[in-house]
Amino acid sequence: MTRIFMMDADQPEPQAHKLRDIFVDGAIKPAFIAESIAKHATRTDIGGHEIFLGQVRADQQQGTNTHQRTRAIEYTAYRDMANEQMTLIREEAFARWPQMTCLHVHHSLGVINAGELCFMVFASAPHRQQAREAVAFVTDEVKKRLPIFGKEIFAEGGHVWKENQ
Amino acid sequence: MRILLFGMIAEKAGTDELEMMAPGTFALRQMLAQRINGLDRMSYALAVDRVIVHEDVVLNGTEEIAVLPPFAGG
Repeated sequence: MTRIFMMDADQPEPQAHKLRDIFVDGAIKPAFIAESIAKHATRTDIGGHEIFLGQVRADQQQGTNTHQRTRAIEYTAYRDMANEQMTLIREEAFARWPQMTCLHVHHSLGVINAGELCFMVFASAPHRQQAREAVAFVTDEVKKRLPIFGKEIFAEGGHVWKENQ
Repeated sequence: MRILLFGMIAEKAGTDELEMMAPGTFALRQMLAQRINGLDRMSYALAVDRVIVHEDVVLNGTEEIAVLPPFAGG
């Protein structure tokens, strides 16, 4: 059976598995998320949506006598590899939660200010459990497996490179 | 072959792309350590044609190599 996915993460019409670009330039705007939700109104087989949104945090650097605070994160990526990895993660997610109706993932590139959104994982399913579990899985796998790099830029000048735990 | 550098490694090297030839990935790691100051003390992965490799992979020169520092997505 060929699993069906959406081509453009915002169109709820099904498409075959294919490579797509999850990256957007700049922050993910709340209006874009609202539109994504609205586009699912035609899919009346959906019973629940689960959304994870990553926001840039104004971290305070620990361990030194400096008081540097993150003003923004500049994201870069090995885009081709990241999109290929995302296709694999998507296949794994649909294999584990075959009733999931659709899955949308977006990640920002460029300078994203503290307080802005940089990452979205959005799953829909007939019942909440599948959507909830799939979002948790996909969020963790993206953080682990996608070659995305983050330069934390300090308000006071200077930077450090972010590393996922 | 084309070697793509990312994040803090590109910053250290002062470029995001290198051209080098090596018979395999272990040899390439040694060459990269010579070229990029401090690389031997950094944690990084090598990807050959967009797949991370841990073992010593034979290279024929047509591959796209990427030097990947720790990931920070999300």
